[in-house]
Amino acid sequence: MYSDLIQSLPDVLAWANLAALVIGVLAGIIVGAMPGLSATMAISVLVPFTFGLEPLVALGLMAGIYNGAMYGGAIPAVLLRIPGTPAAVATTFDGYPMAQRGEGGFALQVAVVSSAFGGVASAFALMLLAPPLSRVTLLFGPAEVFWVAVFGLCSIIFLLGGNVAKGLISACFGVFVSVVGSDPIFGNDRYTFDRLELLDGIHIVILLVGLYALPPVIDLLESPLKTENSAGDHLGTEPIWRTFPRMLRFWKTWIRSALIGIWIGILPGAGGSMAAFMSYNEARRASKTPETWGHGEPEGVAASETANNADTAAALIPALTLGIPGTAVAAIMLGGLLIHGLQPGPMLFRNNPDIVFGFMWQFLFGAILLVFLGGSLATNSFAKLLKLPRPLLGSVIIVLMLIGVYSIHGRMFDVYLMLGFGAIGYVMDKLKFPLPPVVLGLILGGFAEENLRLALRIGRGDWIVLFQNVTSLVLVALTVAVVVGPMIKKRIVKARKTEGKV
Amino acid sequence: MKRTFAVAALLAASTLAFPALAEYPEKPIEIVVGYSAGGGTDVMARAVAKYFETALGNGASVVVKNMPGAGGQIGFTEVAKAKPDGYTLGTFNLPAALALTYDRKADYDASSFTYLANFVEDPNTVVVSATSEFETLDQLLTAAKADPGAITMGLSALGGNDHFAANMISDAAGVEFTLVPFKGASMARTALMGQHVAAGTMTLSQTVSFKDDLRVLAVLSDKRSSFRPDVPTARELGYDVKMSSLRGIVAPAGLPAEITEKLRKALTDVNAMEDFQSMMAKQGNPMSFVAGKDFEDIATQQNEVAKGIWEKTPWR
Repeated sequence: MYSDLIQSLPDVLAWANLAALVIGVLAGIIVGAMPGLSATMAISVLVPFTFGLEPLVALGLMAGIYNGAMYGGAIPAVLLRIPGTPAAVATTFDGYPMAQRGEGGFALQVAVVSSAFGGVASAFALMLLAPPLSRVTLLFGPAEVFWVAVFGLCSIIFLLGGNVAKGLISACFGVFVSVVGSDPIFGNDRYTFDRLELLDGIHIVILLVGLYALPPVIDLLESPLKTENSAGDHLGTEPIWRTFPRMLRFWKTWIRSALIGIWIGILPGAGGSMAAFMSYNEARRASKTPETWGHGEPEGVAASETANNADTAAALIPALTLGIPGTAVAAIMLGGLLIHGLQPGPMLFRNNPDIVFGFMWQFLFGAILLVFLGGSLATNSFAKLLKLPRPLLGSVIIVLMLIGVYSIHGRMFDVYLMLGFGAIGYVMDKLKFPLPPVVLGLILGGFAEENLRLALRIGRGDWIVLFQNVTSLVLVALTVAVVVGPMIKKRIVKARKTEGKV
Repeated sequence: MKRTFAVAALLAASTLAFPALAEYPEKPIEIVVGYSAGGGTDVMARAVAKYFETALGNGASVVVKNMPGAGGQIGFTEVAKAKPDGYTLGTFNLPAALALTYDRKADYDASSFTYLANFVEDPNTVVVSATSEFETLDQLLTAAKADPGAITMGLSALGGNDHFAANMISDAAGVEFTLVPFKGASMARTALMGQHVAAGTMTLSQTVSFKDDLRVLAVLSDKRSSFRPDVPTARELGYDVKMSSLRGIVAPAGLPAEITEKLRKALTDVNAMEDFQSMMAKQGNPMSFVAGKDFEDIATQQNEVAKGIWEKTPWR
């Protein structure tokens, strides 16, 4: 197998394939940076065209876009507090406060280096460990995946912000949105009002764009004559070789987040946003100064961005070996492979080693290219966009939002839905309801429901099925530790303090 | 002066005459696919579209349009309601397209289409993990009989061919399975490989790349498949059960006979092309070409099967 890996290298380096990769990464960063346009969308637009392309050119474009977009999403997340892609929500927590402090340039550099690190780690996992890791995927049946979702949902606790009641209301709203559509087992319609458009549920991008992008834009336009611009106006960018040494202290976060990203990647259906949220929480938990998090801690940006890129190549492990895509993007990529007659499964590695391993190399090179292409593109070009007059900037973003949402399924219904969520988002923003729990509730609510119901069907209605094997029990123990641990810690610290006083 | 007038009149006459003389197709033909780009149905549509242009000749152009959503229903509805002028065709999945006219509200039924040609017929199977204790179909069915509901059966969804296959097997053998509908066949297959469910009914093409991990106990068709000639049919094993997933091309009902004939002939020509066949084989599609009336008969019969199962054991 590893000799196949080496043999496939020269093909990847052929100029057409390399050019495809460079174009892909650039296109990915741009698409990711535009609110409303996502990697999923860009690649699904691309898939039909790849019909006539050489496989490695087509796959190079896709690998590039995927890697680029996962980083690109961080650019508006840092500069405008608008996540460019769903996976960049956690990047806004610390990225935007940094930008407000005039450290936007450093935040973007942390994001690009972390993204590249995550992407490289993920590509190595795909290249060297795909078959053994696919065995790990098999351990996760519905019961186990349900516990992973519960574990993820528990991280909502840390996203609630100051007011727990408001945070929980936000989370419930997200879970409610996840209920819309046909139910995962019987297909009964829930809150669809006989609209076919609602039958598949509400696409995460529609919610995200409405909730996250519209309120800041309204803010921009509320005071159109203000001369100073949004936070990104003053980036304070220094050359990357000077800032890089300051990032080295994140090494623990990089490694931890990369592992979390890879793990979430090999679980079907979880995706980059969950990876980013979880790794953000874990990094904060491990930090010595958790109180600075959420107020512009660069390590938070590093955690989120490493994980969402570490999810990319890893998501292809179950896709290539088992035919089950780890993310929505991987699902479309699988289609791209199918168009070229490449069928997922163990045979794929034997029958088409040149293309499969070539594809893996492209993921690795794509991740490395990020540093060179992403760093300067973001800080030089995108940051300039923010110098636009506020009315102009606001309208450009609105146009992008409308186009992006319309192009998901090519229908106006989604645009109206997005505007509705925008109105809700605006009200929530004004009343200080936190937004991240909504996103997490939508993603994980549906995920948890589907897997719980599948598990209960397998167990013929007996709840004991959820505790029947080691994997489940380990996950239950982890969840309990995560929820109860901090409370106990707090109590011990408090007890000690009072002792000291006495 | 007179001559210029005559020339002008002639020109006018010729421009007027041309549209009448022009042959179908004079603008691009659209094939509506009810699923997103890159799925099995989409790939078939694109392969057909590519060779369709050659078969139609005259510089005809065929484009694929994806309208995903609601399990294909949005696309099927679009075709059923389109103008029957031969410029809107669509992919058609049996039994799924007709099954969903029973379990939810649909604006079309079996009579809303002109059936042009079917290309793919992918038979369902009964399959277990390679490490399963069940070596034969009989062993599996005996276990299911001994403890009704103890055997879990992974499916891609309720109301599709996987579900109907499981239903028909349990009817034929007088046993009961616990049906577990996953999101898609590949999820069901993974759960099977991880031994989270005991058996599955996925189609044969879903099992081909996983020969070493799965044990196919029976294939639910009249004759053995060339993909797996070693696997017996259910009929050979004493259960007269037949179920498969079919993919073809339809047009709206009421298509003019002339255009219908032309399209059917062109699709028959597509099927005869060697390049097309090798492309379909490479993508792992078991082919079974049926055109015209025979295709319509299959649709009618599949409609009856779906209706029968819905009436007897509604799944929601």
